[in-house]
Amino acid sequence: MSMVFNSMKNTRKDRKKNRVKKGMAVALSLGSVFSFFLPYMQFVFKDTTYLVSGFQLATAKGFRVHGSGLSAVVTIPVLARAAVISGMLFAAAGIILLIFRKPVFAAIAYALSGITPLLVLISTTSIQTAVTQLNISKVSIYCLWPFLYVLAGGIACAVLSVWTQGAEKLAESIFLVFSCVSIGSVAFITVYIFAAGSPAIAQIGLGQFLFGREWNAEAGAFGILPLILSSVAGTAGAVLLGVPVGILTAVFLAETAKPQLARLVHPAIELLAGIPSVVYGFFGMQVIVPAIRSFPPFQNHTIGDSLLAAILILAIMVLPTIVSVTETSLKAVPQAYREASLALGATPVITIFKVSIPAARSGILAGVILGVGRAIGETMAVIMVAGNVANMPTLLGTVRLLTTGIAMEMSYASGLHRQALFAIGLVLFLFIMIVNISFTFISRRGVRMDAR
Amino acid sequence: MLGNSLYGKRKRPADAALKFLINAAAALTVTVLAGILLYILVNGLPYVSWTFLSTAYSETDESLKGILPMLINTMYIVGITLLISAPIGISTAIYLTQYAKQGRFVKAIRFTTEVLSGIPSILFGLFGYTVFCILFRLQTSILAGCLTMSITVLPTIIRTTEEALLSVPDAYKEGAMALGAGKLRVVMGMVLPCALPGVLTAVILAMGRIVGESAALLFTSGLSYNMPRGFFRQIFASGRTLTLHLYQTAREASSPDAMHIAFATAAVLLILVFLLNRIAELFSRALRKG
Repeated sequence: MSMVFNSMKNTRKDRKKNRVKKGMAVALSLGSVFSFFLPYMQFVFKDTTYLVSGFQLATAKGFRVHGSGLSAVVTIPVLARAAVISGMLFAAAGIILLIFRKPVFAAIAYALSGITPLLVLISTTSIQTAVTQLNISKVSIYCLWPFLYVLAGGIACAVLSVWTQGAEKLAESIFLVFSCVSIGSVAFITVYIFAAGSPAIAQIGLGQFLFGREWNAEAGAFGILPLILSSVAGTAGAVLLGVPVGILTAVFLAETAKPQLARLVHPAIELLAGIPSVVYGFFGMQVIVPAIRSFPPFQNHTIGDSLLAAILILAIMVLPTIVSVTETSLKAVPQAYREASLALGATPVITIFKVSIPAARSGILAGVILGVGRAIGETMAVIMVAGNVANMPTLLGTVRLLTTGIAMEMSYASGLHRQALFAIGLVLFLFIMIVNISFTFISRRGVRMDAR
Repeated sequence: MLGNSLYGKRKRPADAALKFLINAAAALTVTVLAGILLYILVNGLPYVSWTFLSTAYSETDESLKGILPMLINTMYIVGITLLISAPIGISTAIYLTQYAKQGRFVKAIRFTTEVLSGIPSILFGLFGYTVFCILFRLQTSILAGCLTMSITVLPTIIRTTEEALLSVPDAYKEGAMALGAGKLRVVMGMVLPCALPGVLTAVILAMGRIVGESAALLFTSGLSYNMPRGFFRQIFASGRTLTLHLYQTAREASSPDAMHIAFATAAVLLILVFLLNRIAELFSRALRKG
């Protein structure tokens, strides 16, 4: 229907507008092609400066760099050369395609040419590391205006050439591109964590890595068994403490409390789910840790920073999650179930434990799993109360969890040590994936059960 | 009510015990959570003053113990992150609900975003540090922090916006289409305005998450506490947010004075989160009313 209208409206005025858009796109992309011969990037090695155009970047052998006493040629990465050339070629191809009335293909070519500066940026990073080996610490690489022009011009040309096909088409393409960007970036993280984590595991050996009992970066011992066990112990402890209290609180809110009271408590618990984890950690540091230190039976056995402190703070942090999910699923249980049970002579309490809770089972389980996920992934609150020494977990001893293991050493790690931290990330990721996928399946099954 | 039975009261001690347990658990939850709030606010609010909010911070200078740079950095990170992630996230939700063919592919994407929304933020920090700070050569800067946070909040924004868009009745869309409106007009003029409170709730939830985030920003936006030197220069400079300031001052504090700064920062954070929560509540109420 709308197609017919469009073709009817496709008057001379529209055609003129389209010609303007086309002309602008061609002019902009001619600029992109021309800027290939303008200064593109600036490389400063200590006291020698190279001002390099795209053409030079693609054809030159490399930079002669003078280090302390010796000099060497730093080669330009192949990817950078290829990216610069293809940026120019794609812009030129866009012009040709546009002239031959293939605006969609032209837009793709323009978009690709707009991406190339980013590729140059990424690939020239290796120049920086190569020169660092020559003992020159002062290296800076600047991107100049043509660099940004190619980037922005490519995107602008792509938009203009799709626009010649009408606003509907343009909007749909923008939505499509943005969803590709967001889904791509989120999926890329998954791929990246696997790619960055596996080399260290291969080098250290899977068994050695997962079951090694010692973590000592200086000595080259990378065993994360203490970290895994501490994470598992911390999470299990938090769940053991948090789940019963959380479920009973949810029962209170959904079943036994007076509505006015529930209306007061419910938003408070929602609010608490949003409190930054650093604030919880700070509270733990100020209140829980000193309390454990001065608790009479524990005195002289602990410094306060301990697995117990981590468990307590995690239990508090998972409470709001468990309470709100459980409350929602209890409220979803049909009132008729309760009425039937009461009519059979069961007391209200029996009704809660024999009817309501079993009926809301899958929702409650989903809440528990969500809580487990939050406890495993928590970093900052734990780092402030757990002591962060990679010991085997004991209730009153200092521990280091998977998350805190990464956070503690990331700022100064390098080489195999850093790769090992990525491998910890991979292990953590796998833990979380197992938890989350089971959560998704269980909550879906719950929905299906309700639908019946 | 059961006690009023004709045949007299049948006592069940187990009932009373369970009832007691339920009340005790609820009381415990409320006490612990209210205790945390009160503890932070009572200890922190006395030190929150206009001077505290409006002066710079320095580790050595005793007269400069404010949180102005951290407030500015937090605003930068919230603002830029939303500028990046809100258009992308909302467009994604629009595409998935309005344009894409509802088949296996969309289901797979929905599954992925659902599963990935639970990734711990420390992993995002690890990713952001190596990709944005090192590979893209942004160093530790606010921009690197913003890019990292954009990816962190994307799944949340997509999911919440999708829910809001799906809640718009199909009849509205069909009505608009029947009047001859094109797809774009239906989406922008009909569906999006109807779902606006839900979309705003998604954005505000994301804001709350960004304000409270610390692990993903620790390595990406850094810990510098200098006053911003220029509007654009600050984007490429390192800067700590309120949460990181609290973390850092609490860890390094040796004197009671330093502890006061940490308490006051925590109180400011709580108030911020509370305000955002209220606003989100108002919007979602507006959505429910229609």
